[in-house]
Amino acid sequence: MITQRLVITFAAAMLLVPALGAAAADAPRSEQVQSDLSTREISIQSNFNGANIVLFGSIDFSRAPSPEQGAYDVIMIIRGPSKPMVVRRKEQIAGLWVNGPSQTFSAVPGFYAALASRPFRAIASEETLKSLKIGFSYMDLGKAEPPEPPGDGAFRASLIRLKKEHELFKESDDGVSFLGRSLFRGSVTLPVNVPIGRYTTEVYLFRGGKLLSQSQSSLQVHKVGFERVVYALAFQRPFLYGILAVLVAIATGLAAWTLFRKD
Amino acid sequence: MLQVYLPVAEISVNVLVMLGLGAAIGFLSGMFGDGGGFLLTPLLLFSGIPPAIAVATGANQIVASSVSGALVQWRSGNIDFRMGWVLTADGVVGAFAGVFLVKLLSRLGHAGVFISLVYVIFLGVIGSLMFMESLRAILRSRAGKPISKRKPGEHTWIHGLPLKMRFHRSRLYISAIPPLAIGLTVGLLASVLGVGGGFVVVPAMIYLLRMPTNIVIGTSLFQIIFVTAIVTLLYATLSQTLDVVLAFILIVGGVIGGQFGANAGQRMKGEHLRIILAIMVLAVSIRLLIGLVVTPDDLYSLAPVGVGA
Repeated sequence: MITQRLVITFAAAMLLVPALGAAAADAPRSEQVQSDLSTREISIQSNFNGANIVLFGSIDFSRAPSPEQGAYDVIMIIRGPSKPMVVRRKEQIAGLWVNGPSQTFSAVPGFYAALASRPFRAIASEETLKSLKIGFSYMDLGKAEPPEPPGDGAFRASLIRLKKEHELFKESDDGVSFLGRSLFRGSVTLPVNVPIGRYTTEVYLFRGGKLLSQSQSSLQVHKVGFERVVYALAFQRPFLYGILAVLVAIATGLAAWTLFRKD
Repeated sequence: MLQVYLPVAEISVNVLVMLGLGAAIGFLSGMFGDGGGFLLTPLLLFSGIPPAIAVATGANQIVASSVSGALVQWRSGNIDFRMGWVLTADGVVGAFAGVFLVKLLSRLGHAGVFISLVYVIFLGVIGSLMFMESLRAILRSRAGKPISKRKPGEHTWIHGLPLKMRFHRSRLYISAIPPLAIGLTVGLLASVLGVGGGFVVVPAMIYLLRMPTNIVIGTSLFQIIFVTAIVTLLYATLSQTLDVVLAFILIVGGVIGGQFGANAGQRMKGEHLRIILAIMVLAVSIRLLIGLVVTPDDLYSLAPVGVGA
Protein backbone atom coordinates (compact mmCIF):
# COMPACT_ATOMS: atom_id res chain seq x y z
CA MET A 1 0.00 0.00 0.00
CA ILE A 2 2.67 2.44 1.01
CA THR A 3 4.86 1.67 -1.97
CA GLN A 4 1.93 2.04 -4.30
CA ARG A 5 1.09 5.51 -2.97
CA LEU A 6 4.71 6.50 -3.22
CA VAL A 7 4.81 5.56 -6.88
CA ILE A 8 1.73 7.62 -7.64
CA THR A 9 3.12 10.65 -5.85
CA PHE A 10 6.38 10.28 -7.66
CA ALA A 11 4.65 10.10 -11.05
CA ALA A 12 2.62 13.21 -10.27
CA ALA A 13 5.75 15.05 -9.24
CA MET A 14 7.46 14.03 -12.51
CA LEU A 15 4.58 15.42 -14.50
CA LEU A 16 4.86 18.70 -12.68
CA VAL A 17 8.57 19.07 -13.24
CA PRO A 18 8.47 21.01 -16.52
CA ALA A 19 5.93 23.47 -15.20
CA LEU A 20 7.81 23.87 -11.98
CA GLY A 21 11.04 24.31 -13.85
CA ALA A 22 9.59 27.08 -16.01
CA ALA A 23 8.28 28.98 -13.04
CA ALA A 24 10.72 28.02 -10.38
CA ALA A 25 10.30 31.03 -8.17
CA ASP A 26 7.09 32.92 -8.95
CA ALA A 27 3.60 31.69 -9.83
CA PRO A 28 3.16 29.77 -13.15
CA ARG A 29 3.18 32.31 -15.99
CA SER A 30 0.35 32.27 -18.47
CA GLU A 31 0.90 31.10 -22.02
CA GLN A 32 1.91 33.61 -24.67
CA VAL A 33 1.63 33.07 -28.40
CA GLN A 34 4.12 34.40 -30.92
CA SER A 35 3.78 34.17 -34.66
CA ASP A 36 5.39 35.19 -37.90
CA LEU A 37 5.08 34.69 -41.62
CA SER A 38 7.30 32.83 -44.06
CA THR A 39 7.38 35.96 -46.16
CA ARG A 40 6.82 39.63 -45.48
CA GLU A 41 6.49 40.61 -49.10
CA ILE A 42 4.85 39.09 -52.12
CA SER A 43 5.76 40.49 -55.52
CA ILE A 44 3.39 40.21 -58.42
CA GLN A 45 4.92 40.16 -61.89
CA SER A 46 3.95 38.78 -65.28
CA ASN A 47 4.55 35.15 -64.29
CA PHE A 48 2.56 35.47 -61.05
CA ASN A 49 0.38 32.44 -60.61
CA GLY A 50 -0.53 32.71 -56.97
CA ALA A 51 1.63 32.36 -53.87
CA ASN A 52 1.78 30.18 -50.82
CA ILE A 53 2.38 31.75 -47.44
CA VAL A 54 3.19 29.92 -44.25
CA LEU A 55 2.20 31.27 -40.85
CA PHE A 56 4.05 29.75 -37.95
CA GLY A 57 4.18 30.38 -34.26
CA SER A 58 5.04 29.06 -30.90
CA ILE A 59 3.53 29.02 -27.44
CA ASP A 60 5.75 30.35 -24.69
CA PHE A 61 5.33 28.71 -21.29
CA SER A 62 3.49 25.80 -22.87
CA ARG A 63 2.01 23.44 -20.33
CA ALA A 64 1.19 20.73 -22.83
CA PRO A 65 2.82 17.51 -21.71
CA SER A 66 3.07 16.14 -25.29
CA PRO A 67 2.03 17.18 -28.81
CA GLU A 68 -0.59 14.40 -28.90
CA GLN A 69 -2.33 15.65 -25.80
CA GLY A 70 -3.61 18.69 -27.71
CA ALA A 71 -4.16 21.02 -24.83
CA TYR A 72 -4.10 24.08 -27.07
CA ASP A 73 -6.09 25.32 -30.03
CA VAL A 74 -4.97 27.90 -32.54
CA ILE A 75 -7.02 30.00 -34.95
CA MET A 76 -5.32 32.09 -37.65
CA ILE A 77 -6.99 34.91 -39.57
CA ILE A 78 -5.45 36.45 -42.69
CA ARG A 79 -7.18 39.57 -44.01
CA GLY A 80 -6.42 41.51 -47.16
CA PRO A 81 -7.14 45.21 -47.78
CA SER A 82 -10.84 46.11 -47.58
CA LYS A 83 -13.09 48.04 -49.91
CA PRO A 84 -16.83 48.62 -50.27
CA MET A 85 -18.64 46.00 -52.33
CA VAL A 86 -22.22 45.68 -53.53
CA VAL A 87 -24.17 42.41 -53.78
CA ARG A 88 -27.02 42.40 -56.26
CA ARG A 89 -29.84 39.95 -56.82
CA LYS A 90 -31.33 39.47 -60.27
CA GLU A 91 -35.05 39.63 -60.82
CA GLN A 92 -37.17 38.77 -63.82
CA ILE A 93 -38.82 41.87 -65.29
CA ALA A 94 -40.77 41.53 -68.53
CA GLY A 95 -38.98 38.28 -69.28
CA LEU A 96 -35.50 39.73 -68.78
CA TRP A 97 -33.20 39.05 -65.86
CA VAL A 98 -32.10 42.39 -64.48
CA ASN A 99 -30.39 43.42 -61.27
CA GLY A 100 -32.94 44.10 -58.59
CA PRO A 101 -32.41 44.61 -54.86
CA SER A 102 -28.90 45.12 -53.57
CA GLN A 103 -26.99 45.45 -50.35
CA THR A 104 -23.71 47.29 -49.90
CA PHE A 105 -21.03 46.27 -47.42
CA SER A 106 -18.63 49.05 -46.52
CA ALA A 107 -15.45 47.06 -45.79
CA VAL A 108 -15.18 43.73 -47.56
CA PRO A 109 -11.67 42.28 -47.35
CA GLY A 110 -10.15 41.45 -50.72
CA PHE A 111 -8.83 38.27 -49.17
CA TYR A 112 -9.86 36.40 -46.03
CA ALA A 113 -8.70 33.11 -44.61
CA ALA A 114 -9.60 31.55 -41.28
CA LEU A 115 -7.52 28.52 -40.34
CA ALA A 116 -7.97 26.45 -37.22
CA SER A 117 -6.46 23.41 -35.56
CA ARG A 118 -9.92 21.94 -34.87
CA PRO A 119 -13.50 22.79 -35.88
CA PHE A 120 -14.13 26.40 -34.83
CA ARG A 121 -17.10 25.58 -32.65
CA ALA A 122 -15.10 22.94 -30.79
CA ILE A 123 -12.41 25.51 -30.00
CA ALA A 124 -14.54 28.32 -28.64
CA SER A 125 -18.14 29.20 -27.92
CA GLU A 126 -20.33 31.05 -30.41
CA GLU A 127 -20.14 34.14 -28.20
CA THR A 128 -16.34 34.11 -28.22
CA LEU A 129 -16.15 33.59 -31.99
CA LYS A 130 -18.70 36.35 -32.45
CA SER A 131 -16.89 38.85 -30.26
CA LEU A 132 -13.59 38.12 -32.03
CA LYS A 133 -15.34 38.16 -35.46
CA ILE A 134 -13.82 34.82 -36.40
CA GLY A 135 -14.93 32.70 -39.37
CA PHE A 136 -17.46 33.21 -42.14
CA SER A 137 -20.37 33.43 -39.70
CA TYR A 138 -18.96 36.40 -37.81
CA MET A 139 -16.31 38.01 -40.01
CA ASP A 140 -16.42 41.78 -40.31
CA LEU A 141 -17.70 43.06 -43.66
CA GLY A 142 -18.29 46.60 -42.47
CA LYS A 143 -21.60 48.38 -42.38
CA ALA A 144 -24.45 46.87 -44.39
CA GLU A 145 -26.62 49.31 -46.32
CA PRO A 146 -29.58 48.91 -46.20
CA PRO A 147 -29.41 46.88 -42.98
CA GLU A 148 -31.41 43.71 -43.47
CA PRO A 149 -33.82 42.28 -40.94
CA PRO A 150 -31.93 39.95 -38.60
CA GLY A 151 -32.03 36.30 -39.55
CA ASP A 152 -32.10 37.01 -43.25
CA GLY A 153 -28.49 37.14 -44.34
CA ALA A 154 -28.98 36.06 -47.95
CA PHE A 155 -26.87 38.90 -49.37
CA ARG A 156 -24.08 38.39 -46.86
CA ALA A 157 -24.12 34.63 -47.48
CA SER A 158 -24.02 35.18 -51.24
CA LEU A 159 -21.10 37.59 -50.92
CA ILE A 160 -19.13 35.00 -48.97
CA ARG A 161 -20.11 32.21 -51.38
CA LEU A 162 -19.03 34.25 -54.42
CA LYS A 163 -15.72 35.19 -52.79
CA LYS A 164 -15.20 31.53 -51.91
CA GLU A 165 -15.79 30.54 -55.52
CA HIS A 166 -13.01 32.93 -56.53
CA GLU A 167 -10.76 31.39 -53.86
CA LEU A 168 -10.55 34.75 -52.12
CA PHE A 169 -12.34 33.59 -48.96
CA LYS A 170 -11.20 30.41 -47.24
CA GLU A 171 -12.12 28.62 -44.06
CA SER A 172 -10.33 25.50 -42.87
CA ASP A 173 -10.91 23.35 -39.79
CA ASP A 174 -7.59 21.58 -40.09
CA GLY A 175 -5.43 24.36 -41.53
CA VAL A 176 -3.24 24.60 -38.44
CA SER A 177 -1.10 21.71 -37.25
CA PHE A 178 1.09 21.33 -34.15
CA LEU A 179 4.67 20.27 -34.67
CA GLY A 180 5.60 19.81 -31.04
CA ARG A 181 4.49 20.88 -27.62
CA SER A 182 4.58 24.51 -28.54
CA LEU A 183 5.26 24.85 -32.26
CA PHE A 184 2.51 25.16 -34.86
CA ARG A 185 2.08 26.18 -38.48
CA GLY A 186 -0.62 26.88 -41.02
CA SER A 187 -0.41 27.64 -44.72
CA VAL A 188 -2.67 29.39 -47.17
CA THR A 189 -2.58 29.95 -50.92
CA LEU A 190 -3.10 33.44 -52.29
CA PRO A 191 -4.74 32.98 -55.72
CA VAL A 192 -3.67 34.89 -58.81
CA ASN A 193 -6.47 37.45 -58.40
CA VAL A 194 -5.43 38.67 -54.93
CA PRO A 195 -5.67 42.41 -54.41
CA ILE A 196 -2.50 44.32 -53.68
CA GLY A 197 -1.96 46.10 -50.39
CA ARG A 198 -1.28 45.35 -46.75
CA TYR A 199 -2.43 42.04 -45.31
CA THR A 200 -2.79 41.50 -41.60
CA THR A 201 -2.64 38.21 -39.74
CA GLU A 202 -3.98 37.42 -36.32
CA VAL A 203 -3.18 34.32 -34.35
CA TYR A 204 -5.41 33.37 -31.40
CA LEU A 205 -4.39 30.84 -28.78
CA PHE A 206 -7.16 28.99 -26.92
CA ARG A 207 -7.24 26.41 -24.20
CA GLY A 208 -10.46 24.86 -23.04
CA GLY A 209 -12.53 27.45 -24.94
CA LYS A 210 -10.71 30.35 -23.28
CA LEU A 211 -8.69 32.90 -25.24
CA LEU A 212 -5.21 32.95 -23.71
CA SER A 213 -3.21 35.14 -25.99
CA GLN A 214 -3.08 36.64 -29.45
CA SER A 215 -0.43 37.86 -31.83
CA GLN A 216 -0.41 39.99 -35.00
CA SER A 217 1.82 40.41 -38.01
CA SER A 218 1.46 41.71 -41.53
CA LEU A 219 2.69 41.27 -45.05
CA GLN A 220 2.70 43.42 -48.14
CA VAL A 221 1.49 42.29 -51.55
CA HIS A 222 2.66 44.54 -54.34
CA LYS A 223 3.42 44.60 -58.02
CA VAL A 224 6.98 44.96 -59.26
CA GLY A 225 8.76 45.83 -62.50
CA PHE A 226 6.69 46.32 -65.63
CA GLU A 227 3.44 45.40 -63.87
CA ARG A 228 4.08 48.07 -61.26
CA VAL A 229 4.77 50.74 -63.89
CA VAL A 230 1.61 49.85 -65.83
CA TYR A 231 -0.54 49.72 -62.71
CA ALA A 232 0.80 53.01 -61.35
CA LEU A 233 0.36 54.72 -64.71
CA ALA A 234 -3.18 53.36 -65.16
CA PHE A 235 -4.37 54.57 -61.77
CA GLN A 236 -2.25 57.68 -61.11
CA ARG A 237 -1.78 59.11 -64.61
CA PRO A 238 -4.83 57.71 -66.42
CA PHE A 239 -4.87 60.34 -69.19
CA LEU A 240 -1.21 59.78 -70.09
CA TYR A 241 -1.83 56.03 -69.86
CA GLY A 242 -4.75 56.31 -72.31
CA ILE A 243 -2.71 58.44 -74.73
CA LEU A 244 0.16 55.94 -74.63
CA ALA A 245 -2.25 53.04 -75.17
CA VAL A 246 -3.70 54.75 -78.27
CA LEU A 247 -0.22 55.63 -79.60
CA VAL A 248 1.01 52.07 -79.13
CA ALA A 249 -2.07 50.80 -80.97
CA ILE A 250 -1.55 53.24 -83.87
CA ALA A 251 2.17 52.44 -84.08
CA THR A 252 1.50 48.71 -84.11
CA GLY A 253 -1.13 49.12 -86.81
CA LEU A 254 1.32 51.18 -88.89
CA ALA A 255 4.14 48.70 -88.33
CA ALA A 256 1.93 45.81 -89.37
CA TRP A 257 0.84 47.58 -92.52
CA THR A 258 4.46 48.45 -93.45
CA LEU A 259 5.46 44.86 -92.83
CA PHE A 260 2.67 43.29 -94.86
CA ARG A 261 2.13 45.87 -97.61
CA LYS A 262 2.21 44.55 -101.12
CA ASP A 263 2.25 47.74 -103.21
CA MET B 1 2.20 27.43 -69.38
CA LEU B 2 2.20 30.69 -71.28
CA GLN B 3 0.01 32.29 -68.68
CA VAL B 4 0.46 36.03 -68.43
CA TYR B 5 -0.70 38.25 -65.59
CA LEU B 6 -2.77 41.28 -66.56
CA PRO B 7 -1.78 44.18 -64.29
CA VAL B 8 -5.04 46.15 -64.43
CA ALA B 9 -7.54 43.30 -64.84
CA GLU B 10 -5.62 41.44 -62.08
CA ILE B 11 -6.14 38.03 -63.62
CA SER B 12 -3.99 35.58 -65.59
CA VAL B 13 -4.79 34.66 -69.17
CA ASN B 14 -3.28 32.30 -71.72
CA VAL B 15 -1.22 34.24 -74.27
CA LEU B 16 -1.96 31.84 -77.15
CA VAL B 17 -5.71 31.92 -76.60
CA MET B 18 -5.74 35.74 -76.57
CA LEU B 19 -3.43 35.94 -79.62
CA GLY B 20 -5.75 33.59 -81.50
CA LEU B 21 -8.78 35.61 -80.47
CA GLY B 22 -7.09 38.81 -81.69
CA ALA B 23 -6.15 37.17 -85.00
CA ALA B 24 -9.69 35.93 -85.63
CA ILE B 25 -11.14 39.37 -84.92
CA GLY B 26 -8.46 41.03 -87.06
CA PHE B 27 -9.28 38.74 -89.96
CA LEU B 28 -12.98 39.61 -89.81
CA SER B 29 -12.15 43.27 -89.39
CA GLY B 30 -10.00 43.38 -92.51
CA MET B 31 -12.57 41.41 -94.45
CA PHE B 32 -15.68 43.38 -93.60
CA GLY B 33 -14.35 46.81 -92.81
CA ASP B 34 -15.82 46.46 -89.38
CA GLY B 35 -13.81 46.88 -86.21
CA GLY B 36 -14.80 43.37 -85.24
CA GLY B 37 -15.66 44.66 -81.80
CA PHE B 38 -19.18 43.31 -81.83
CA LEU B 39 -17.57 39.86 -81.69
CA LEU B 40 -14.51 40.79 -79.63
CA THR B 41 -16.38 42.15 -76.62
CA PRO B 42 -18.66 39.10 -76.21
CA LEU B 43 -15.72 36.72 -76.79
CA LEU B 44 -13.65 38.49 -74.14
CA LEU B 45 -16.58 38.20 -71.75
CA PHE B 46 -16.87 34.48 -72.48
CA SER B 47 -13.16 34.07 -71.64
CA GLY B 48 -13.75 35.53 -68.20
CA ILE B 49 -12.60 39.11 -68.71
CA PRO B 50 -14.73 41.50 -66.58
CA PRO B 51 -17.24 43.58 -68.66
CA ALA B 52 -15.69 47.00 -67.98
CA ILE B 53 -12.21 45.73 -68.91
CA ALA B 54 -13.53 43.96 -72.03
CA VAL B 55 -15.21 47.10 -73.40
CA ALA B 56 -12.24 49.45 -72.82
CA THR B 57 -9.57 47.00 -73.93
CA GLY B 58 -11.61 45.95 -76.96
CA ALA B 59 -11.79 49.59 -78.09
CA ASN B 60 -8.00 49.89 -77.82
CA GLN B 61 -7.48 46.78 -79.93
CA ILE B 62 -9.80 48.11 -82.62
CA VAL B 63 -7.67 51.28 -82.91
CA ALA B 64 -4.74 49.17 -84.13
CA SER B 65 -6.70 46.84 -86.41
CA SER B 66 -8.54 49.74 -88.05
CA VAL B 67 -5.28 51.69 -88.60
CA SER B 68 -3.74 48.87 -90.61
CA GLY B 69 -7.07 48.10 -92.28
CA ALA B 70 -7.62 51.75 -93.23
CA LEU B 71 -4.09 52.03 -94.65
CA VAL B 72 -4.73 49.11 -96.97
CA GLN B 73 -7.98 50.75 -98.13
CA TRP B 74 -6.27 54.14 -98.47
CA ARG B 75 -3.67 52.68 -100.87
CA SER B 76 -6.51 51.42 -103.02
CA GLY B 77 -8.10 54.88 -102.90
CA ASN B 78 -11.14 53.61 -101.04
CA ILE B 79 -11.53 56.33 -98.40
CA ASP B 80 -13.80 59.35 -98.64
CA PHE B 81 -11.91 61.56 -96.22
CA ARG B 82 -14.49 64.32 -96.22
CA MET B 83 -17.22 61.86 -95.24
CA GLY B 84 -14.85 60.32 -92.69
CA TRP B 85 -14.23 63.63 -90.96
CA VAL B 86 -17.93 64.51 -90.86
CA LEU B 87 -18.67 61.12 -89.23
CA THR B 88 -15.78 61.51 -86.78
CA ALA B 89 -16.63 65.04 -85.67
CA ASP B 90 -19.85 64.18 -83.89
CA GLY B 91 -18.80 60.59 -83.27
CA VAL B 92 -16.62 62.13 -80.58
CA VAL B 93 -19.65 63.87 -79.08
CA GLY B 94 -21.56 60.59 -79.03
CA ALA B 95 -18.61 58.80 -77.42
CA PHE B 96 -18.54 61.29 -74.54
CA ALA B 97 -22.27 60.86 -73.96
CA GLY B 98 -21.97 57.07 -74.07
CA VAL B 99 -19.13 56.81 -71.57
CA PHE B 100 -21.02 58.98 -69.08
CA LEU B 101 -24.20 56.96 -69.63
CA VAL B 102 -22.34 53.70 -68.91
CA LYS B 103 -20.74 55.21 -65.81
CA LEU B 104 -24.14 56.25 -64.50
CA LEU B 105 -25.75 52.88 -65.26
CA SER B 106 -22.79 51.06 -63.70
CA ARG B 107 -23.41 52.82 -60.44
CA LEU B 108 -27.04 51.67 -60.55
CA GLY B 109 -26.01 48.12 -61.46
CA HIS B 110 -27.84 48.08 -64.77
CA ALA B 111 -24.90 48.52 -67.17
CA GLY B 112 -24.60 44.81 -67.96
CA VAL B 113 -28.25 44.37 -68.88
CA PHE B 114 -28.36 47.68 -70.74
CA ILE B 115 -25.29 46.84 -72.83
CA SER B 116 -26.68 43.38 -73.69
CA LEU B 117 -30.08 44.81 -74.57
CA VAL B 118 -28.60 47.47 -76.87
CA TYR B 119 -26.48 44.76 -78.50
CA VAL B 120 -29.51 42.50 -79.01
CA ILE B 121 -31.65 45.25 -80.54
CA PHE B 122 -29.03 46.78 -82.81
CA LEU B 123 -27.44 43.55 -83.93
CA GLY B 124 -30.85 41.94 -84.38
CA VAL B 125 -32.32 44.73 -86.52
CA ILE B 126 -29.20 45.35 -88.59
CA GLY B 127 -28.43 41.67 -88.98
CA SER B 128 -31.96 40.91 -90.24
CA LEU B 129 -32.03 43.84 -92.67
CA MET B 130 -28.60 43.00 -93.99
CA PHE B 131 -29.43 39.32 -94.31
CA MET B 132 -32.61 39.95 -96.30
CA GLU B 133 -30.97 42.52 -98.55
CA SER B 134 -27.91 40.42 -99.35
CA LEU B 135 -30.01 37.30 -99.87
CA ARG B 136 -32.16 39.21 -102.35
CA ALA B 137 -29.03 40.47 -104.12
CA ILE B 138 -27.60 36.97 -104.34
CA LEU B 139 -30.85 35.54 -105.69
CA ARG B 140 -31.08 38.35 -108.21
CA SER B 141 -27.55 37.78 -109.47
CA ARG B 142 -28.22 34.02 -109.67
CA ALA B 143 -31.22 34.81 -111.86
CA GLY B 144 -28.86 36.75 -114.10
CA LYS B 145 -30.35 40.16 -113.48
CA PRO B 146 -27.95 43.07 -113.07
CA ILE B 147 -27.52 44.46 -109.57
CA SER B 148 -28.07 48.14 -109.25
CA LYS B 149 -27.32 49.32 -105.77
CA ARG B 150 -27.79 52.91 -106.76
CA LYS B 151 -30.76 53.90 -108.80
CA PRO B 152 -29.69 57.05 -110.64
CA GLY B 153 -31.97 59.99 -110.26
CA GLU B 154 -33.81 58.39 -107.38
CA HIS B 155 -34.57 60.95 -104.70
CA THR B 156 -35.53 60.08 -101.15
CA TRP B 157 -36.46 62.33 -98.21
CA ILE B 158 -32.74 62.55 -97.44
CA HIS B 159 -32.19 64.63 -100.54
CA GLY B 160 -34.67 67.21 -99.35
CA LEU B 161 -32.64 68.15 -96.26
CA PRO B 162 -30.68 71.41 -96.04
CA LEU B 163 -26.91 71.91 -95.42
CA LYS B 164 -25.87 70.17 -98.62
CA MET B 165 -22.28 69.03 -98.96
CA ARG B 166 -20.43 67.55 -101.89
CA PHE B 167 -18.61 64.28 -101.24
CA HIS B 168 -16.48 63.85 -104.38
CA ARG B 169 -15.02 60.46 -103.64
CA SER B 170 -18.47 58.98 -102.97
CA ARG B 171 -19.97 60.88 -105.91
CA LEU B 172 -22.64 62.29 -103.61
CA TYR B 173 -24.20 65.69 -103.13
CA ILE B 174 -26.30 65.37 -100.00
CA SER B 175 -27.20 67.13 -96.80
CA ALA B 176 -24.64 66.86 -93.97
CA ILE B 177 -27.42 66.03 -91.50
CA PRO B 178 -27.70 62.26 -92.15
CA PRO B 179 -23.92 61.68 -91.91
CA LEU B 180 -23.87 63.75 -88.72
CA ALA B 181 -26.72 61.70 -87.25
CA ILE B 182 -24.96 58.47 -88.20
CA GLY B 183 -21.71 59.70 -86.64
CA LEU B 184 -23.43 60.59 -83.37
CA THR B 185 -25.15 57.20 -83.15
CA VAL B 186 -21.89 55.41 -83.89
CA GLY B 187 -19.98 57.35 -81.24
CA LEU B 188 -22.64 56.48 -78.70
CA LEU B 189 -22.64 52.80 -79.64
CA ALA B 190 -18.85 52.62 -79.75
CA SER B 191 -18.55 53.79 -76.18
CA VAL B 192 -21.48 51.82 -74.79
CA LEU B 193 -20.58 48.54 -76.49
CA GLY B 194 -16.82 48.86 -76.91
CA VAL B 195 -17.14 48.42 -80.65
CA GLY B 196 -15.96 50.38 -83.66
CA GLY B 197 -19.52 50.72 -84.87
CA GLY B 198 -18.80 49.42 -88.35
CA PHE B 199 -21.85 47.20 -88.21
CA VAL B 200 -23.96 50.36 -88.05
CA VAL B 201 -21.90 52.67 -90.26
CA VAL B 202 -21.46 50.22 -93.13
CA PRO B 203 -25.15 49.48 -93.68
CA ALA B 204 -26.09 53.09 -92.95
CA MET B 205 -23.70 54.38 -95.60
CA ILE B 206 -24.84 51.79 -98.11
CA TYR B 207 -28.59 52.01 -97.57
CA LEU B 208 -29.18 55.52 -96.24
CA LEU B 209 -26.46 57.54 -97.95
CA ARG B 210 -26.21 55.22 -100.95
CA MET B 211 -22.42 55.38 -101.02
CA PRO B 212 -20.54 52.95 -103.28
CA THR B 213 -19.73 49.75 -101.34
CA ASN B 214 -15.98 49.86 -102.02
CA ILE B 215 -15.71 53.36 -100.53
CA VAL B 216 -17.86 52.43 -97.53
CA ILE B 217 -15.39 49.96 -95.99
CA GLY B 218 -12.38 52.28 -96.17
CA THR B 219 -14.31 55.28 -94.89
CA SER B 220 -15.81 53.25 -92.07
CA LEU B 221 -12.36 52.01 -90.97
CA PHE B 222 -11.02 55.56 -91.16
CA GLN B 223 -13.60 57.00 -88.78
CA ILE B 224 -13.44 53.95 -86.49
CA ILE B 225 -9.78 54.81 -85.76
CA PHE B 226 -10.78 58.13 -84.25
CA VAL B 227 -13.91 57.02 -82.46
CA THR B 228 -12.23 54.05 -80.77
CA ALA B 229 -9.16 56.14 -79.89
CA ILE B 230 -11.44 58.59 -78.07
CA VAL B 231 -13.36 55.76 -76.40
CA THR B 232 -10.07 54.18 -75.24
CA LEU B 233 -8.91 57.48 -73.82
CA LEU B 234 -12.23 58.13 -72.07
CA TYR B 235 -12.36 54.72 -70.42
CA ALA B 236 -8.69 54.93 -69.38
CA THR B 237 -9.28 58.32 -67.80
CA LEU B 238 -12.75 57.99 -66.33
CA SER B 239 -13.07 54.38 -65.24
CA GLN B 240 -9.50 53.00 -65.25
CA THR B 241 -10.54 49.74 -66.83
CA LEU B 242 -8.09 49.62 -69.73
CA ASP B 243 -5.53 46.81 -69.61
CA VAL B 244 -2.71 47.58 -72.05
CA VAL B 245 -1.09 44.18 -71.66
CA LEU B 246 -4.25 42.42 -72.79
CA ALA B 247 -4.78 45.06 -75.49
CA PHE B 248 -1.27 44.57 -76.84
CA ILE B 249 -1.65 40.79 -77.07
CA LEU B 250 -4.95 41.25 -78.93
CA ILE B 251 -3.40 43.91 -81.16
CA VAL B 252 -0.48 41.71 -82.22
CA GLY B 253 -2.88 38.89 -83.07
CA GLY B 254 -5.26 41.33 -84.71
CA VAL B 255 -2.87 43.09 -87.09
CA ILE B 256 -1.64 39.76 -88.43
CA GLY B 257 -5.18 38.48 -88.96
CA GLY B 258 -6.18 41.84 -90.45
CA GLN B 259 -3.78 41.55 -93.40
CA PHE B 260 -5.19 38.21 -94.46
CA GLY B 261 -8.73 39.41 -93.92
CA ALA B 262 -8.31 42.42 -96.20
CA ASN B 263 -7.08 40.21 -99.04
CA ALA B 264 -9.84 37.69 -98.51
CA GLY B 265 -12.42 40.49 -98.52
CA GLN B 266 -11.21 41.88 -101.84
CA ARG B 267 -11.58 38.51 -103.50
CA MET B 268 -15.18 38.04 -102.41
CA LYS B 269 -18.37 39.49 -103.82
CA GLY B 270 -19.97 42.31 -101.84
CA GLU B 271 -23.27 40.52 -101.30
CA HIS B 272 -21.51 37.34 -100.15
CA LEU B 273 -19.48 39.33 -97.65
CA ARG B 274 -22.62 41.00 -96.38
CA ILE B 275 -24.57 37.78 -95.91
CA ILE B 276 -21.73 36.19 -93.90
CA LEU B 277 -21.49 39.30 -91.75
CA ALA B 278 -25.29 39.33 -91.35
CA ILE B 279 -25.31 35.72 -90.13
CA MET B 280 -22.57 36.44 -87.58
CA VAL B 281 -24.32 39.57 -86.37
CA LEU B 282 -27.57 37.61 -85.91
CA ALA B 283 -25.80 34.77 -84.10
CA VAL B 284 -24.23 37.13 -81.56
CA SER B 285 -27.57 38.87 -81.07
CA ILE B 286 -29.38 35.58 -80.39
CA ARG B 287 -26.65 34.39 -78.03
CA LEU B 288 -26.93 37.58 -76.00
CA LEU B 289 -30.73 37.42 -75.96
CA ILE B 290 -30.56 33.89 -74.58
CA GLY B 291 -28.28 35.19 -71.84
CA LEU B 292 -30.88 37.77 -70.86
CA VAL B 293 -33.91 35.47 -70.90
CA VAL B 294 -32.63 32.17 -69.49
CA THR B 295 -32.63 31.95 -65.69
CA PRO B 296 -29.04 32.68 -64.62
CA ASP B 297 -27.08 29.99 -62.75
CA ASP B 298 -26.43 32.47 -60.01
CA LEU B 299 -28.98 35.13 -59.13
CA TYR B 300 -26.45 36.99 -57.02
CA SER B 301 -23.52 39.02 -58.26
CA LEU B 302 -20.76 40.91 -56.55
CA ALA B 303 -19.06 44.11 -57.67
CA PRO B 304 -16.95 46.85 -56.16
CA VAL B 305 -19.05 49.93 -55.42
CA GLY B 306 -19.21 52.24 -58.42
CA VAL B 307 -18.05 49.66 -60.99
CA GLY B 308 -20.37 47.93 -63.39
CA ALA B 309 -22.13 44.65 -63.02
